[in-house]
Amino acid sequence: MASDFFYPNMGGVEAHIFNLSQCLLLKGHKVVVITHSYGDRVGVRYMTNGLKVYYLPVRTFYNQCVLPTMICSLPLVRCILLRERIDIVHGHSAFSALAHEVMAIGGLLGLKTVFTDHSLFGFADTSAIITNKFLEISLANVNHCICVSHIGKENTVLRARVDHWRVSVIPNAVDTSIFVPRPEMRSKDRIIVVVVSRLVYRKGIDLLAQVIADFCLKHPKVDFLVGGSGPKGKLLEEVRTRLCLGERLTLLGTLETAAQVCATLNRGHIFLNTSLTEAYCMAIVEAASCGLQVVSTRVGGITEVLPHDLIYLTEPSVSSVIDGLKRAISDLRCGVAVDPETCHARVKSMYNWHDITRRTSHVYATVTREPTSSLGQHLRNYMKSGVWPFLLVVSLMHLLLVALNWLVPVNVS
Amino acid sequence: MAGSEQRKPWRKVLYANEDYPDNYTDASFLEELKKNVNERRVSLTTAIAGAALVSQQLCLIITFCLGYVLLHLAVVGPTAFLGTCCLLGACGYALYTPPLIKLPSHARSVIIFFALGYLLSPVLKTLTESVSTDTIYATTVFTMAVHLVFFDYGVKAFIVSSSLSINASVFGSLCLASRLATPYHAFVLLAWAVHCFVLCPVLLAKLGHPPLITVIIIIICTFMLYQFSPSLVLLFISAVVFINFICPYLFVRWHTYKDNIYGPWDEAVVTS
Repeated sequence: MASDFFYPNMGGVEAHIFNLSQCLLLKGHKVVVITHSYGDRVGVRYMTNGLKVYYLPVRTFYNQCVLPTMICSLPLVRCILLRERIDIVHGHSAFSALAHEVMAIGGLLGLKTVFTDHSLFGFADTSAIITNKFLEISLANVNHCICVSHIGKENTVLRARVDHWRVSVIPNAVDTSIFVPRPEMRSKDRIIVVVVSRLVYRKGIDLLAQVIADFCLKHPKVDFLVGGSGPKGKLLEEVRTRLCLGERLTLLGTLETAAQVCATLNRGHIFLNTSLTEAYCMAIVEAASCGLQVVSTRVGGITEVLPHDLIYLTEPSVSSVIDGLKRAISDLRCGVAVDPETCHARVKSMYNWHDITRRTSHVYATVTREPTSSLGQHLRNYMKSGVWPFLLVVSLMHLLLVALNWLVPVNVS
Repeated sequence: MAGSEQRKPWRKVLYANEDYPDNYTDASFLEELKKNVNERRVSLTTAIAGAALVSQQLCLIITFCLGYVLLHLAVVGPTAFLGTCCLLGACGYALYTPPLIKLPSHARSVIIFFALGYLLSPVLKTLTESVSTDTIYATTVFTMAVHLVFFDYGVKAFIVSSSLSINASVFGSLCLASRLATPYHAFVLLAWAVHCFVLCPVLLAKLGHPPLITVIIIIICTFMLYQFSPSLVLLFISAVVFINFICPYLFVRWHTYKDNIYGPWDEAVVTS
């Protein structure tokens, strides 16, 4: 497992890597996580069940990512891959430079590579065009890709020009043993709407602010509870001050652990998600697992995640989201909303990490059977992406690996 | 896959489809892909009309530079030049506002400009006097290019900035002013710059950029340029042909290469 994003960072990718690794360890596989250093967390650490994590002594460069020099950390990564006798390199997240770097090195060492894409990307602006080109280069030699939703697969196939049969759709799961409903913690006389999200533009916080402002004025029995932090937090504070909402809009700030998230979710009746783009959206599954009614914008892969009776889908506009909230509240008052325990049971039957791990292992088994491609084949694949100077980088990496083989020979004992 | 006849139809959801392998690709794959949603076809005439604005602005720059040359070579005296300048300004003003309601406030602005410009012209003239002539000319070319690039041609684009455009051209004219003989010359040149770069575009926009005026301006520029340098005329004409005909033609032709992909993965735009 290689990614820039890992514990102590918190998020969808981090949780995915951790849970997948745990399940693979349970099945008797050997799992090693490679990530960059976080503060003074450098070197080898062991997590639950002896999950070995290498925190490489590399500084982050931008947005929690390392600078993809392709050659500077090459000796170190080679050393880890050989010492741990790795067979499959599994990179996570398109934004993680470290994942691409380790996958490239693994590919040159003759290892199989799998890549999981957790995000969606447009095609319209310059940054998207550049990122998509980089992704195309990087995925030219990946044995198999995994996307978290069907929309994600369409997106990845288009932007990285990977053959569609090399892309599997394996969703995320949630740990349903943590996210259990506890209806007794809910308020009896008021209806609480919970939001748990990073407070950034992509999560639709501008939309959320407007919804809260309009909704609180019209519905005095409804309160909002917001967990998470980010640059748009100021916007929500401003709404609270301007409309004197005080107790009715609670901002909890960063939620550190899954248990905290669960406790927050269990205080509410309705979960609101206003994302503008989302490949999978773990948050709504966690909320549904806690038995909340989910109101969400109809964007990206969200339509695929939950059956229609567990989610109220709305358009990304203030009036539509308010309409969705009203529907959820009236269902709750009439008692026709799905019972929390039923909701939990259904999510449990749909998503669990063991099933995800089984499907991922199937991918691993498939790539292991594929023949190892030679350096020439590698270069030919890279050439298809049309960025010829990159061939020089790959060649240099290969030469370095040859030199290292001579300087620090592989110790096969 | 055994018993593929009985299996349930594939659905685009993540919680069903146990009967299908994970890398199964359905026939509905990429169904929601849309191409060139907001495409706006531009006809050749519209493109040429748009390009005409650029050559119009180019002509204004050339007219200004011709004014500088006339003053610099002392072909025309400064007072005569200022007189012509004022006359043209008055004609333009008559075209601009037929009812004379705001005349007093406009007249006051003009008087303030003339008074301040005249008083400050010695300072303005010596401002860049110590800079070498080559640098001055290079800077002028650069600032005029900036003027052309950032000018507001009526298209809503990110780089459009009227203030930067006007400031660049006025700075360029200040540079040129330092090469003239007396502060009075510099003052006349600045008045001319204001006519060319501030007043004239406003007037042309008000008139709605009639193509006839563009043609007339181009003919006048060609004629005036011919008086000084026939080789420049050749350069000017090829530039006008390039801007006015070749660029719009290529622009319209290359529309077929536009390939914008839209789909459900795009960031949603909040509609209120």
